[in-house]
Parts: sequence; structure tokens; C-alpha cells
Amino acid sequence: MYRIRFHARGGQGIKTASRILGTAFFLEGYEVQDSPRYGAERRGAPIFAYVRASKKIINERGIINKPDLVIVTDDSLLLLPIAGVLLGVTERTVLLIATDEATELWKKRLNLQGLVLSISTQAAVKGHAGLPLLGAACVGAAAQLVGAISKSALEEAIHDQLQPLGKVIVEESLAAAMTAYDQIEAYAGCTTEREDPSADSYESPNWIDLPFEDAGTSAPYIHAAATTLNVKTGVWRSLRPVIDLQQCNRCALCNSYCPDGVISLDAKGYPQIDYQHCKGCLICLAQCPLHAIDAIPEPGQEGEIS
Amino acid sequence: MKESSLKSIKDLPSTHVLGPGTPTCAGCGALGAIKIFCDILGEKTVFVNAAGCMTLLTVYPFTPFKGSWIYTAMASAPAGAQGVRDALDLLIRKGRLKPEEDLKVVVLTGDGTAYGMGLSSTSSAIYRGLDFIYICYDNEGYGNTGHQFSAATPHAARTATSKGPEGYQRYKKDLFAIWAAHRPAYVATVAGTEPLDLARKIEKAKDLKGSKLFIAFSPCPTGWYFEPAKTIEVGKLAVKTGVWPLKEYIDGKVAHTKVPLPKGKRPLVEEYLKIQGRFAHLFSPTRNENVLEKIQAGVDAYWESIV
Repeated sequence: MYRIRFHARGGQGIKTASRILGTAFFLEGYEVQDSPRYGAERRGAPIFAYVRASKKIINERGIINKPDLVIVTDDSLLLLPIAGVLLGVTERTVLLIATDEATELWKKRLNLQGLVLSISTQAAVKGHAGLPLLGAACVGAAAQLVGAISKSALEEAIHDQLQPLGKVIVEESLAAAMTAYDQIEAYAGCTTEREDPSADSYESPNWIDLPFEDAGTSAPYIHAAATTLNVKTGVWRSLRPVIDLQQCNRCALCNSYCPDGVISLDAKGYPQIDYQHCKGCLICLAQCPLHAIDAIPEPGQEGEIS
Repeated sequence: MKESSLKSIKDLPSTHVLGPGTPTCAGCGALGAIKIFCDILGEKTVFVNAAGCMTLLTVYPFTPFKGSWIYTAMASAPAGAQGVRDALDLLIRKGRLKPEEDLKVVVLTGDGTAYGMGLSSTSSAIYRGLDFIYICYDNEGYGNTGHQFSAATPHAARTATSKGPEGYQRYKKDLFAIWAAHRPAYVATVAGTEPLDLARKIEKAKDLKGSKLFIAFSPCPTGWYFEPAKTIEVGKLAVKTGVWPLKEYIDGKVAHTKVPLPKGKRPLVEEYLKIQGRFAHLFSPTRNENVLEKIQAGVDAYWESIV
């Protein structure tokens, strides 16, 4: 069975990408599971999607803990522990990253033993909106890496999944996928199937048996206030708003308009941004009457949030 | 009615009751409104939340609220609020809760619930004179599930379930009129993008006895297809062009709290429409003059009927 895990940020089209890959496998006669992980799939948030494909019936369920291929469309996720990109990655796992940095650098940085491949975001085929079509490119590369998907199956899968979005998007995505498919030809079949573990070798998870409790004890009560403070939504950000306090006239509009309430005012009335939680919507930048707020790309420094 | 102590946007609280770190999308227009509701209502609240985008605010073990929160099915939030209100009243009557420790019961639902499947239980709650606050964050569709149309979706908008060449064919329900017809204590349309108007209305209504209902216009970057940074611009244009009237019903009368410029002087509705991807099909590849004129005429007719 092939076990393939996608990592992206919400909005990069990774749900569709996994769907296309799953469909292509299906067209090649495979039994397929493909599913995004349902949860906080918000724009910018780290999200996951899984594809399993096998010639036999698939009995495995749930998240993929031991992937054969991991695809990452946003290299900033590699530096975020919360994104879990390296979960279960071993020396036989192929890692495909959309990045403009050298793969050797990533191997060293992340201490990886296995094969690491990259797709250049700068060289990738761009869509009509001017952005690189990384989802489509990654699907093309993945189809080549598993060595089990023909160009015609890939093409049909793209038509099948993207046709409702119109001809332009189908054509662009086809171009992006096929270019990546050809580029990575030297590595065809590098991702190999791993046999399903037999029932004899099954190790039960580390379950903790809970005694039956009445609803007052067992219901999911939260007894503390404002615990979302522990959720660092700052990791969603791709652009960071920065306030030039020299220009600021303390009008406090940014404080009023920030939907997440992450801009506070200091004792003198100057605004301060809580970067642990700022999602990077840039409403503050758009509303600042004096244009005293700028946006700089994340990550500022490696892995830095605050 | 005494004059509001809130004179300018600077009078609004600058520290916030609602905690950060919620899973709402970046630039969420609904969250902006809820933030101000929490600031004005304070911590002594019980939110009764019907299924929708905002149920994601509280996902175990995380909550942004400093007060209490419970979850109900879509159609039954006002019924849940009745139970909470009754329980509080009983506790006070039996002396187990001091009157000053009483909590405000706040229903929080999206437009799918408020305009549609929750309308019956809301009607019954107002009819029974339930003492509660109802906040509907109106993002004009079933936002949490991928933005399918709801009874609040405006004419011609593209949603996940209205992808035809002219978008959604039906017209947005007038929930304000439906609610006001029940003669509750207070009904208002508000917008998180108009914080001062919103804060004043909450302040005015919060201590009234009976049902107080709010429809909060909530621009949705994800479902309406615009950049998150433009949430305020979209909300402000909806008010300036006359698409979203800011009004309130109190003591049997409807009053407008912010009237756009007269016809000819106010910006055309298309200024509001063209910055949202959900209306892009009205401008490209060709301009759909018929539909644009129809939408403009609808807005003009509304304001003519007011003056």
C-alpha cells in the first residue's frame, strides 16, 4: 500500500491536490482512500490531507503515521513543530518540498536520511493570478514518484476534479502537473509501497482505559477562561504587520478593527501587536489612516513566531 | 432614552474580553462583531451557540470566552437559552444565586440558523417574552461548510450551491421585519465594521427586559472571495452604498441610525459588488447590466420608501 501525506497551508488547494492524486490512482485500478483532515482548515493554517492506494482492500483508517511520501507545498511548515511534517518520516520516506532552497540544506537542517526532492516555487508554472500552481505541480511530481500513474490517468484525473472550475484552470493545472511530472522523471518509482502489517504483528495503541463516569465528570467541560491564549494562531501568518511608532498618531483604529483583538495599547496609547496570535489578515494595515503599518514576509527568522 | 456615553470610536474599550487564538479565518467579519459584543456585555454572560462557524470558537479544551458557553443543535439555540434563563431564575429565587451574580443569556447563531431552521424556535422564544440577547452573525451563507447559499444570501451572489451564470436566484429574507413583527424589546441591524454604532446599540439594549435581537453584517473573506485585509472596506461600502441599512426597532418604531447619502450622491452598489469575487460574474467576461440595474433599483427603492 502507498501512504502519502500532504502538508500545506489552508487555501493552497491541497485538498484538491490529494483528490486528484487519489482519482489518478483509482483510474489505474487501485483501491483508494483520500481525505483532508477536517478541523480548523482556515486560510493560512497548517492543514493535512492523506492518500492511501493499494491493489488490495484497504483496512487501514485514520491519519497516516508512517508515510512513504510526504509532500510539503510551503517550506515554512518544515520549521513549525505544530505542522507535524516529519511525523513518522524514516530513511525510506521520500520528502518532496516546494522550496527555493537547496535540498541538501533541508537534509542537513532537519537531519534527514532519506531522499529529499524539491520543486522550485520560482520556476513552477504560474496561474492566471500570477501565483505558482504548487498543488498541481506537487500532484504531477507525486504521480511520477510512485511510478504507478500514467500521464493519461493524471490528465483524466485533473479534468475530472477541476472541470467545474473552468477551462482556464484545467489548462493551467495540466501544464503545471505535466511539467513537474517530466522534471522528476529520473526519480520515477522512488516511492515504494510498504506491505500492510499482518494481523499477527499488530501492536495495539497505547490505550488508556477510562472508567465510566457520570456526565458531570466525563463531559468535555472547560473550567478555565480564555484558554485559546494557548493556541498560537501566529503560525498562520505569511505576512507580518509591523507598526512604525514614529508615524503613529495613536488613533487606535487598529485596536478597534482587529477582529482577533491582538492589538493592545500601551500606557501611552501606542499600539502593540501580539505576534503569537496575529493571523496576518492585515486589516490594521488597510485601515491605518497614516499608513504607519507595513507588511514583511514571514518567517522573519527561522521558526520565529514572536 | 439617555444619550450614549460612547461619543467616538476612542471611547470603546481597548482591552478585550474575548481571548485571541480562535480558529476563525484571518479577517473574519463575524469575529470583529462578536469581539465588540463581548466588550460591551462583559464577562457575566452565558453564550448559547448553535452549530455554525462560531461553534469553532470553543473546541475542547480551548475557549476564548471568559464567561460560560454551551452548544446546541442549529434549530434549538433559543430553546437552550430558555432553559438557561429558567435555571438562573430558579437559582436566584431559591437564594442559591445572588441577584447581582445573574448572567446575561446570549444566543449566538449564523444566518443559516437565524433566517432558516432556527426561525421557529426564535419566534416562540420572543412570543414567550424570553429575556435574552440574540446575535446573528450574517455572512450570507453556510460559511462553515464551504459557503452554500442560505435564506440570507443576496440575489446574484455565487455560492458553492449557486454557481449559475447569474448566481443565486432568490432574494435575501427580511429577517429584521420578521423579528420586529413579533414586537420584542429591541431589534437592530449592526456591523462589526461600524464599531461605534454597534457598541451604542448593545449599550442601549443590554439592560432592557425581554428579547433583544441583533443581525450583524459579517463580511466573509473566505466565502465572499476577497482579501482578508479588505473586510472593513467591504463592510463600510455595504453601509455607504445603502446595501446594508443600519437601523433599530424599539418602542414600536423603526429608526435608521446611519443614513447613506441621497441617490445620485451615494456610491453605486456596484462599488460594493465589484470588490468581491462572489459577484465577479456580473462584471467579467461581460458586464451584466440587467442584473446590476436590478440590484441598484432594489436598494434605491428601499431608501425611497424610508424618506
